[in-house]
Amino acid sequence: MDDVSEIWSVSQVNRAVKKLIETNLEGLWILGEIASWTRASSGHCYFTLKDDKSQIRCVMFKSDVSKLPLDPDTGMVIRVFGSLSLYEPRGEYQVVVRALMDEGGEGLWRLAAEKVRKKLEGEGLLDKDRKKQLPKSIKALGVVTSLGGAALYDILKVVERRAPWTKVIVRDTRVQGETAAHEISEAIRVLSESSMVDLVIVARGGGSMEDLWAFNEEPVARSIAASPVPVISAIGHEVDTTLSDLVADFRAPTPSAGAEMAVKDGKMVKDLLAMIFESMFLAMSTLTSTFRKELTAKREKLMNFQDAVVNPQREFLDRTADELESAMQAVMSTTRKELSSLENMMEVLSPLATLSRGYALPRNAEGKILKTVDSIPSGIRFSLRVSDGTVSCEALGKDN
Amino acid sequence: MVENNVEKGPTLEERLSRLTEVVRNLEEDTIDLEVALELFEEGIQHVREAEVILNHAELRVKELIGSSENLEVRQLKDNS
Repeated sequence: MDDVSEIWSVSQVNRAVKKLIETNLEGLWILGEIASWTRASSGHCYFTLKDDKSQIRCVMFKSDVSKLPLDPDTGMVIRVFGSLSLYEPRGEYQVVVRALMDEGGEGLWRLAAEKVRKKLEGEGLLDKDRKKQLPKSIKALGVVTSLGGAALYDILKVVERRAPWTKVIVRDTRVQGETAAHEISEAIRVLSESSMVDLVIVARGGGSMEDLWAFNEEPVARSIAASPVPVISAIGHEVDTTLSDLVADFRAPTPSAGAEMAVKDGKMVKDLLAMIFESMFLAMSTLTSTFRKELTAKREKLMNFQDAVVNPQREFLDRTADELESAMQAVMSTTRKELSSLENMMEVLSPLATLSRGYALPRNAEGKILKTVDSIPSGIRFSLRVSDGTVSCEALGKDN
Repeated sequence: MVENNVEKGPTLEERLSRLTEVVRNLEEDTIDLEVALELFEEGIQHVREAEVILNHAELRVKELIGSSENLEVRQLKDNS
């Protein structure tokens, strides 16, 4: 006890204890209540874990914190997994926490999801009247999922069995991990806005809450809500509900069920086609029979019209024509009569008529009518027109 | 041969929706007989070709790649 040959510095003690703790204690699970939680500007988080008698300092480094969906609240009972160490500058021992869980398994994840859900609900993004209808038929089906995943395989199997004529367009994306949410959100946006598909299935096989976490993140939910075409959320197995399920227009319990929702069974299409054919035929025969009836009715109408309107008019026309003709004839005979009396009159006035009564018309060589004694000097030659011709004359002299 | 020709034309869904339209038009009272006959002929053609598609279709799966500004569609090889 009095031997002071070996004196340790504070640092030496702390280093030795640190080594002692770190080499002798494996990683361990600790259950406790969070007494305080601080996120430093460096991104590392410091907190105290306590029970009713005691407490331990804990640190969680940035890289591990980033795996948490949200910071836990003070008072929350949690389980941490970490290793014991000693913070030399203060000589305080602490737990370097690698993983943290809400007591009850995935409580922390549920809590975080609930937080986003409330936010989206507040904006009305979960409202029922926002939900789009499934298209009656689709030309191309869009699928957002991992190209190598079982979800895609399941979907293609169903489409091939039910409606192999459907074109399927896949947008490959990671479905878990740190960048998954961003990638999924972007894939939904690009595919839904590409105008190449009428419907999008967002799919992933089942997994733990943590595995499915990306589908609870805000960007994914927002992309689904903003999609111009209907979205079917087909994530995990029946028991898992994600925010994507709540925002999507339809929720399918599994990727296969999602595909069944999306494409009609070929049998239904065949029935539909037969029905269309029948309706077409029926419509056509109704139409032709209607036309035939109409035609008969029109013909009858036409005949009635002839009886009622055309025939009387024709009769009237005929009668009018007859009347016109007799009127014409009456006019003609009157005219003819008038004409002959005119002829008589003309005859009376004609000089030839006078001549026929024994008068004669003397005319000189120039044709001038000789009316007086002086105009016929003795010795002159002149012509005398009588009723049936002309004679040449010579004047012998005037009578006294 | 027939399948190729059909494939170049409208898809099954387009034919079905056109057929629905044809029936609707045929059921209208005011339709002209000549127009009706043309529609009927068109309808019959769609029914025939839809049947070919229904009986001979093979699943086609494509992948959409590239960014929004530069989208491309490529055939996926074997999907099973």
